Amino acid sequence: MKNESRKKSTALPILFSTARMLMRTPAFWLIIGLAVLFTALYSGSFLSSTNLENILKGFVVTSMLSVGPTFVVLMGSLDVSYIGIWMFGGALVWLLFPYLGMVSIFVYPIFGLAIGLVNGIVHVKTKIPSFILTIAITAVFAYLTTVIRNIYGVLTLAVPEYRFLAGSVIPYLPNTFLLALPVLALSIFFMNFTKLGTYLCAIGSNEEGAELAGINVKKYKVLGFSVSGFLTGLGSIALFSYLGARAPVTLDLNEMVRGLAAIVLGGTPLVGGVGGPHRTLFGALAYTLIFNGLFLTGIDPNQFKLYIGLTLWGAVLIASRRLKGVLIA
Amino acid sequence: MARARIRREWLQKNLTTITPITAAIVLMIALRALNPFFLATYESVVTLIYGMSWFLIAACGLTFVILMGSFDFSIPSVLKLSAMLCGVFYPQVGFAVIPLAIMVSLLFGFINGVLLAKFSIPSFMTTLATSFVAEGLAQIISGGYTRILSDPSFTAISITFIPAKFGLPSIFYWAIALWAVGIIVTLITPFGRAVYGIGGNLTGARLAGINITKVRILVFMLSAFFASIAGILYAAQIQGAHMQIGVLDTIPLFASVVVGGTALSGGTGGIHRTLLGVIIIRWLDSGMSMIGVDYNVRMIVFGAIAIIMTIATIDRRRIKIMK
Amino acid sequence: MFNSSILEVRNVSKTFNGVVKALDGVSMAVKENEIVSVVGENGAGKSTLMKILVGIYPPDAGELYHKGAKVPFPRNPMEALKRGISIVYQEKGIIPHLKVYQFLFLGLEEKFTRLGRLQLERILGIAKTVLDELGVKCDITSYMYELPLSMQKMVEIVRAILSIRLEHGGAESDGVNPIIILDEPTAPLSREERDELFSHLLEMKKTSSFIFVSHIIPEVMEFSERIYVLRDGKLVAHHDLSREKPTEEELFKEIVGRESHRYLWAKYIYGKPEELKGRPIILSVKNLSKKGYYQDVSFDLHKGECIGLFGPAGSGKSEIARTIYGILAPDSGMIITNGKKVGLKDEPHRRLKMGIGYFSGETGKELFLYWPIRKNISLVNMEKVVKKPIKIAAIINFKAERSLAEKVMKEMRIRAPSVETECYSLSGGNKQKISVGKWLERSPNILVLLDPTIGIDVGSREEIYEALLEMKKGGISMILVSDDPKEYAILCDRIILVKDGKLKKIYTNDEFRKVMQL
Repeated sequence: MKNESRKKSTALPILFSTARMLMRTPAFWLIIGLAVLFTALYSGSFLSSTNLENILKGFVVTSMLSVGPTFVVLMGSLDVSYIGIWMFGGALVWLLFPYLGMVSIFVYPIFGLAIGLVNGIVHVKTKIPSFILTIAITAVFAYLTTVIRNIYGVLTLAVPEYRFLAGSVIPYLPNTFLLALPVLALSIFFMNFTKLGTYLCAIGSNEEGAELAGINVKKYKVLGFSVSGFLTGLGSIALFSYLGARAPVTLDLNEMVRGLAAIVLGGTPLVGGVGGPHRTLFGALAYTLIFNGLFLTGIDPNQFKLYIGLTLWGAVLIASRRLKGVLIA
Repeated sequence: MARARIRREWLQKNLTTITPITAAIVLMIALRALNPFFLATYESVVTLIYGMSWFLIAACGLTFVILMGSFDFSIPSVLKLSAMLCGVFYPQVGFAVIPLAIMVSLLFGFINGVLLAKFSIPSFMTTLATSFVAEGLAQIISGGYTRILSDPSFTAISITFIPAKFGLPSIFYWAIALWAVGIIVTLITPFGRAVYGIGGNLTGARLAGINITKVRILVFMLSAFFASIAGILYAAQIQGAHMQIGVLDTIPLFASVVVGGTALSGGTGGIHRTLLGVIIIRWLDSGMSMIGVDYNVRMIVFGAIAIIMTIATIDRRRIKIMK
Repeated sequence: MFNSSILEVRNVSKTFNGVVKALDGVSMAVKENEIVSVVGENGAGKSTLMKILVGIYPPDAGELYHKGAKVPFPRNPMEALKRGISIVYQEKGIIPHLKVYQFLFLGLEEKFTRLGRLQLERILGIAKTVLDELGVKCDITSYMYELPLSMQKMVEIVRAILSIRLEHGGAESDGVNPIIILDEPTAPLSREERDELFSHLLEMKKTSSFIFVSHIIPEVMEFSERIYVLRDGKLVAHHDLSREKPTEEELFKEIVGRESHRYLWAKYIYGKPEELKGRPIILSVKNLSKKGYYQDVSFDLHKGECIGLFGPAGSGKSEIARTIYGILAPDSGMIITNGKKVGLKDEPHRRLKMGIGYFSGETGKELFLYWPIRKNISLVNMEKVVKKPIKIAAIINFKAERSLAEKVMKEMRIRAPSVETECYSLSGGNKQKISVGKWLERSPNILVLLDPTIGIDVGSREEIYEALLEMKKGGISMILVSDDPKEYAILCDRIILVKDGKLKKIYTNDEFRKVMQL
């Protein structure tokens, strides 16, 4: 935010502060380290254009699953409903396509927003821990997707008419990436150019203080969940194109951890207050690189769960640096 | 007037006890109506016991953690890892596999506890990571294949019938014994008091001279221990181990704890209540499968129950800020 | 003189729950460009008055005049802003992870948003000008937590002024004279930080007025033009320092009132230095330091002695007490109890094992409000209520637990239906008595007391004093930290003056009472 505002005065402080931000982001060093390591180990395959494209695609998937929820983590809560939005939203698109035609893809952001709103309202009204609430909602929607698949007796809920979304309009740049750009831009805008970002930070940093400053904390909590759901819904369009015009129909917990790990790796601590989507992008890239590298080593993908778990342990340990001594239930 | 008020207060206070009992009775009647053999024949009782015993043990472990105000996602994975360790290594090392499985599980519990108590990382996050590591290990040691364990001396630990004629399988006695141990530990020992204390008022527990670090680590180790025992007994019961064990159990386990009346906010409820929760959830499960409801729909039902019961049991008086 | 005042309240009264008279016909006025102090003990009605001024509580009776014209009392903080009144809270108001300009405009962004987009250039520009104008020098893009505490407080004050100005049109100073209520602003600050804060306040006084709520007498005397003294909800004195200057002792007497606990002093004998020397040393603190809180603290505590750490809020006294119980880890130093060294980073449970107990007046933190009295009492007395059927297994004996609780309830005269009554339903005094009672039963070698009678009625207070004095007679040593000098005079054998984190002077009980004129 300050970068924009200082544009007029001098360019030097911008560079300086951006550099300072990068230096303080562990994910940044992790990315550099991993890139150097894999280039040294597998120079041929790592830097090949197909692999770079794979990394880009993986980055898009991870970031689409994590930028939205970052807004919720920012205020110290947690939102893992992104898998539910991704899966059931896809089912809705498939169900509605015969009636709505090509417009039906816009069901995604609307559905995301609705889920976000429900999450926010239920969380604020009942004080149920957001993590439990959103994970249960995710499970409900994920299984609903499978139920729909079973009812209609189909294998996938693919909508072939949207196949054109996959592929590349611009060579070497998958459309998936292009579809993700507006989501990334929007998240940076919400965070840095509206008061929402500031308010969510304030709530995460000191909820009572935010209340004393005259902020309607409950309203902004609901808003935070809504933005999270909306961005995830919008991002799910990119994910929809990534899988070739369909969404997954069975619940895969690996995907859930992907989003969480990217947020934590990026440096938004789970207690909230600091960070933001721009940091999550670094986390998403780092996470993608780790698993891209693992692929290159030729490890049996069935064993990836172990590495996902280890990565998550590492990520939370990195993120806990400043938490020592805080009493957490 | 006064009488009505007293009655209302009593009702309010005991609502968390009355509701699950009523639900269990209603459920039993409904299942009986659906299937006249439900709980009517010896076979149906044994089937039900087999379905509930290992589940009860795992749920007791989870109850410990929830009573303390934390959460443990790693229970199904640790359970699976334990079962898998038995399946893979029993042929080589024999009964030494049991202490091995327990030790490995305790290690996971220890890590969960340390990450929470020493590094201040929220428990759902650490246990989620742990569940992946345990799952990954199970995958690696088994190569993803199903292992058969047909050695009668091993399976005997779960399926010996006591008494031999028209008796119940030994896994039932294990489960009841562990449940009873859980009740004793939580309700009448100083350690149990400390667990309730930490769940009720963390700062207060610290100021009252409770070693909160130790208790929290121990509780996570206890939870892993229960999961491990459940896994070993389950492996003996089904005479083998496979990668699908525990995959679908996180939500039903959690649901059975909150249905019993243990609040997610910590400090209220107890292991004695969990038995009712387990009965309700497992009966519901078998009832639904009896009328041919597929597991996806059952999961939706359990997810909804989990949300509703969490909201119903949470102690809103006490919570100022809930993340 | 009331004519030139911009804000005036007359005969404000407020009763809570129909019984507790928090305010009784209080009148006060604030003039342009001045600092007015409101002093009084805890519970004297200071904060109730302030909460009425900013619209959190409605008064039962009274009138409000703004620039000479009668206006209704504000009904919420926003209306108070319209009248030009804003408040800076004692703590909790600062949001550490926001940048300075974000914090300054928190909740005020409405006027700086176009089509949902914040006009950052304008915000940054105004933030800079306002801070410059008010003489607060800090980088507006640094985080709040990076600033020193006094600077954080300054930014909070600037935020209050800014919010009033924006409510009245613009960020410029013309026309409005904001009235800022400062609720114990210096409590967390060190001496140097305090001076800096005050030098800034004197600067800001050119365009604003301040109501300074405090109980720290020297500060009040030094920096305010007029002083209102509240006691038990009544205005007992009003000093215009430009005409007459009361001595600190006079002011002190007005604050605490005449009523004293002489009979308690007569009943107990306080240790004389030569007599104390004969007793064994039970706790010895050597060169204890924690950066930013206290330095080089050393003292010896004898058996059956009570030492009071006396000093202004923020002097480090409560941090020293918390360190002794292990809630706060010191940087360096040594704590020795009964000849054994205490690990500096040890948690409270280790301290309790070594015979140190801790009891604070914050019942919400200390007690388990949704537990019955029985469990609250037995929690620190587990050894007394367990039986061991086998060596390693300990089981709670519920009968013993109940009878223990009944005994404590009788001793402490706790008024509750039974030992099974949940604590939240009890009065503040009874809750406090449970806390004291459980320690009475435990009887550790040393008991650290932090504000043991805060916010409770006089009757329970005396009962607690008597219980504590009995414990002391029984050989338990104590360390007291409080805000109330009377409490020190009643409980302590020696009183150590703490200032700026250093131990300054040791008084005996007699000397202390003489100095304090109690």
